[in-house]
Amino acid sequence: MCALSVAGCSGVQSALDPAGGDALRIYWLTVIMTVGGTLIFLLVTGLLLYAIFAPPERRAWLGSRRTIVVGGLAFPIVVLSGLLPYGLIVMRDTDVPMPGALQVEVIGEQYWWRVKYAPEGEALEFSTANELVVPVGRPVTVTVTAADVIHSFWIPNLGGKVDMIPGRINRLSFTAERPGIYRGVCAEFCGDQHARMAFDVVALEPTAFEAWRAAQAKPAREPDHPFLARGRELFRAGGCGSCHVVRGTGADGTFGPDLTHVGSRRTIGAGQFPNNVGTLAGWIANTQHIKPGVRMPSYGSFTGEDLRALAAYLESLR
Amino acid sequence: MNVPERSEAFDPREPELPNPLPRPAGEFEALEKAWEAPRGLSFITAVNNTYVGLWYVGTAFLFFILAGILSLIMRVQLAAPESDLVGHGLYNQLFTMHGTVMMFLFAVPAVEAASVYLLPNMQAARDLPFPRLSAYAYWAYFVGGLVFFCTIFFGLAPNGGWFMYPPLTSTKYSPADNADWWLLGIGFIEISAIAGAIEIIVGVMKTRAVGMSLDKMPVYSWAMLVFAVMIVIGFPAIILGTLLLEMERAFDWPFFIAERGGDPLLWQHLFWFFGHPEVYIIFLPATGMVSMIVPAMAQTPLIGYRLIVLALVATGFLSFGLWVHHMFATGLPKMSLSFFSAASTAVAVPSGIQVFAWIATIASGRMRLTTPSLFIIGFLFIFTLGGLTGVMVAMAPFDWQAHDSYFVVAHLHYVLIGGMVFPLFAALYYWVPVASKQALSERVGRWVFGLMFVGVNVTFLPMHITGLIGMPRRVYTYPVGMGWDALNLVSTLGAFTIAAGVALFIVDFARRFRIARDENAGNVWNAGTLEWLPNANYNTRSIPIVVSREPLWDQPNLSRDVQDGRYYLPGTATGGRETLVTSPFDARPQYVLQVPGPGWQPLLAAVFTAAFFLLLTVKMVLLSATCGVLAIICVIWWLWDTDPGPVRPPVDIGGGIVVPVYATGSMNHSWWAMIVLMVVAGMVFTCLIFSYLFLWLVNPAAWPPQGVALPDGSRPFVSGALYVVSAVLIAYASRMLRGEDRRRPRAVPVLIAMALPCVAGASAAELWAQWQTGLSPSAHAYGAAVYAIVSLQIFFVLTSLIMGIYTIARWLAGRLDSVRRTTFDNTMLFWFYTIGQGLVALAVVHGFPRLTGGV
Amino acid sequence: MGGRRTGQVLLMLAGFIAWAVQFTVIYAVTSTLCGREWAGATILGVGSVQAIILATTLAALAVAALGLLWSLQAHRSLGEAAAAPDRFMSQAGALIGGFSLVVILWQGIPAFILPACA
Repeated sequence: MCALSVAGCSGVQSALDPAGGDALRIYWLTVIMTVGGTLIFLLVTGLLLYAIFAPPERRAWLGSRRTIVVGGLAFPIVVLSGLLPYGLIVMRDTDVPMPGALQVEVIGEQYWWRVKYAPEGEALEFSTANELVVPVGRPVTVTVTAADVIHSFWIPNLGGKVDMIPGRINRLSFTAERPGIYRGVCAEFCGDQHARMAFDVVALEPTAFEAWRAAQAKPAREPDHPFLARGRELFRAGGCGSCHVVRGTGADGTFGPDLTHVGSRRTIGAGQFPNNVGTLAGWIANTQHIKPGVRMPSYGSFTGEDLRALAAYLESLR
Repeated sequence: MNVPERSEAFDPREPELPNPLPRPAGEFEALEKAWEAPRGLSFITAVNNTYVGLWYVGTAFLFFILAGILSLIMRVQLAAPESDLVGHGLYNQLFTMHGTVMMFLFAVPAVEAASVYLLPNMQAARDLPFPRLSAYAYWAYFVGGLVFFCTIFFGLAPNGGWFMYPPLTSTKYSPADNADWWLLGIGFIEISAIAGAIEIIVGVMKTRAVGMSLDKMPVYSWAMLVFAVMIVIGFPAIILGTLLLEMERAFDWPFFIAERGGDPLLWQHLFWFFGHPEVYIIFLPATGMVSMIVPAMAQTPLIGYRLIVLALVATGFLSFGLWVHHMFATGLPKMSLSFFSAASTAVAVPSGIQVFAWIATIASGRMRLTTPSLFIIGFLFIFTLGGLTGVMVAMAPFDWQAHDSYFVVAHLHYVLIGGMVFPLFAALYYWVPVASKQALSERVGRWVFGLMFVGVNVTFLPMHITGLIGMPRRVYTYPVGMGWDALNLVSTLGAFTIAAGVALFIVDFARRFRIARDENAGNVWNAGTLEWLPNANYNTRSIPIVVSREPLWDQPNLSRDVQDGRYYLPGTATGGRETLVTSPFDARPQYVLQVPGPGWQPLLAAVFTAAFFLLLTVKMVLLSATCGVLAIICVIWWLWDTDPGPVRPPVDIGGGIVVPVYATGSMNHSWWAMIVLMVVAGMVFTCLIFSYLFLWLVNPAAWPPQGVALPDGSRPFVSGALYVVSAVLIAYASRMLRGEDRRRPRAVPVLIAMALPCVAGASAAELWAQWQTGLSPSAHAYGAAVYAIVSLQIFFVLTSLIMGIYTIARWLAGRLDSVRRTTFDNTMLFWFYTIGQGLVALAVVHGFPRLTGGV
Repeated sequence: MGGRRTGQVLLMLAGFIAWAVQFTVIYAVTSTLCGREWAGATILGVGSVQAIILATTLAALAVAALGLLWSLQAHRSLGEAAAAPDRFMSQAGALIGGFSLVVILWQGIPAFILPACA
């Protein structure tokens, strides 16, 4: 089916391209059910057409109560008696929290993702947003909740989804088995911009992951160029710090995403645009035009030069 | 007075037809006159199932078209990535309205409407048992539904999804009126559905052709019986949920607000406990229709009747154990989820039984490939595919990927369009000749089928892939480069293909359908069941005896004999409209039911009811309350003419069978209706108690919460005693109202008058007891739950008071005596229910927290 | 509807009623024990949740089996001359009883596969 479709099944957001153990288990369940279902469908359709078009003497055997008992009662009971335990076993073995798993907390907001990595050994805790980076081969347990309405956390390549419900704490466990870049989305209608609430998922080899984690825990980079320093000054003067954290500066607002290392992220706007000076500038100046309904107002009053400096500063926060 | 069973006088194998020829002069004319339709503008006051049924089906079809147009707009928006044709605001209203209108204003009303028309015809009853009730239900739906749909033209349409999850739909995140339109607009339309369900249960069980015992009932009747019982059990959950959410929005009672002890999952449980059975409620009548059409098309009796009845009853039960499969991703324990996985798997078997029963029937006959047959084949193809993907999503881990993706969109449209829309089109092509002078065009019908069949598959088959490669639901656009573009474009093209088929149908329908007063197109398919007898406003001239499931095939000359008046009740015994009530199992004649005729009361009551709810939505409270009072006045005006008593002595309906024209007690049709109503009320109350217990479960810290004290332990006993006293008084009045001599003892109104303050006092005392502790309904969900229970009880008490006063009024007007006591019985039943509910409420509210020790 | 008919209907539906009670009990118990973290207790060495599911399932199977057997017995004792609805209801009761056994069994399988409250 996939081969026939123009799209192809592989992709950064595809359940048919498993990159982790759970997704793989579910993938095999899917394949078996699809093949089995297709065969049953062909059988039923075939019997129906036979019942209509075959000569009466040839189809008389089909026109009896036995057909119903065998085809409609016995056959489904046998098949489903096999499928149900199989499905329950896959359920048992999927989404199992493992001891020693990497602990990450994600909070769903309208319309972005607040991400917190727990402290572990010498690694310090830190916050980021709209991005999940995980080590390949190591179990991860994501603890989720929501700050406002119900959202849902779904990374198709790595496993199933879990709802993020205000007042409840849910957990999702998975292990990435293949390095790569994937995409997660919100999978529960959460309001105006539900369609534009995604996040990047990066699976790195363990050493690369540790390096990333160490870098994320550090405070923000100092600007090494006056243009960037101007940007930082604009950030401060513009009041951005009342909503955003940039660790190491005075900005400590927790209402919006943590921007300490925003330059290191692949996308901005919750997985919506590539991360570069141009898109950052556009986002700041035209927020409500690009993604109307988000909690950040547009800051259209910056001059062109100021806007570029501000964007360049943010881009420098790697 | 109860009528003794008359087994010796009735024998269906008697070769002599009940009534001899020639029929008396004027008998037929009197029958025609009694059933004459009102003229001119008053035509809208008609209550005859023939007219109400047709209007109802037509209105439902209108909503199908309107909701379909909404989906076309959505598909145009999604045809390309990052399209800005339709903004997010409008799109979110479009998908919410598409789902809401399709599910609430099309799907359930369409199948209910079809039964309003078909069921009496198929059982050779002259009308439904409560025609004014179905008229009321229709007009409330018509007015309310159209006003609700128009909200989209003003940007006021609900936009939180058809499932309306809080907290998104709570006041904080949806401050505008949009959500209220859903809650108040749809809420009362559900009441229409329940009214219809009560009617169908009583109609199926009590108004069948003579000799149409349980084993000879058409499968359609079985399907509608199960359908109606499912509505009675399932709809109260959404009525309660809707009430709770509206109270949260309007009065800040935090049922679903986590910060104050509430839980968003409570809504989901209530919604889906209704929502899952809802889809089987939509599907089962369609299977009933298919089970009638297939034998006619194959010209052979249905094979596997008992297995099909098993399948219908099994689906009815099992469908209530599925609801959490809509919540597989909510983080509930896997063990809990697995119960629903098991039941969701089990429910596939009954569907399999039915599919194979139809295949076996087709194989044993000669299936003519008419348009109805084509739609049946299309149904089997599409529904089977949808059913198989349903088994897939019943496996929780697969659902963890597929949930809220386009895979589910594919699944649900396959089962709903395949399982309900295709049978509906088959039914339209099949049964139009009963209602119309001309059948529809077979030639055009093939095109309609072809376009719709191809269109459905082209639209929805790709969506299975689209969903599994990552596209979530309810998105107004999607990014470039995800690989979804071509699939979405194909789906859009398919959608317009379906639209072309439907448009072609509308054209052909407009050209050919002409309401037949007394000359319909006839039994063009040579079918075997009773709706194909010659009929007119009064349905059949006389009510036949049946000895098998296909009477027209097995009883030669049946049509002629029925038309000549050889069977039962060929005229009118009381001069007015009547139908025959028969026993529920054996279909022996029991009594003649005096059926009400046209009137303004149901129409006006419906308009004022609709106005009450709709004005409340826009917060015009005074005007709304006025309309509410007017609605109640119209209902009382309507009821005043009912319960006519025995207007004449028992009548000979033919064959020496003499039955009364009035009955009371448990044989009476309105007693049955009250019992069903009590089940509905009981389910609303059960869901409320469930909500209370659920909130306890999610508040482990303390229950009641810190700082809240329970009322003193003696209070519930005071209220309880007052309730019991009022019940005893009513029971005593019932005792007094006995005797064949039509006595009217003064004790009766006195006892009722004494019971009124007792029941009112009991409820007021409970309210006062809670209020005195300082309990606030908005501080914590505990208070909200307690006051919700108290408020529900107050509503029932107020209704009981009105019924009690009304009963006293009837006694004063001489319309109540020991024989003519149906009104009293209805009041008594409702009263006992109110008392029972009140006592259980006291036990839970005062007893449960003490039982759990405050935790 | 008299007492005899009520009894007949209840016998006919016994299997599904048993399923409905089994379902309600096991779901309510699982939700409450897991929701309040009282599931740690064991009964005869088996986790309390699984034990209650097993016990409820066995009880429901027994009721459904009785429904099946009594319906079959009723059907056999009704002769050819018996009223059609009576024969119909006993046959339906047997079908329902038999099918319910399968469903009740499926409903209890999770106790063997899944951990109590994960």
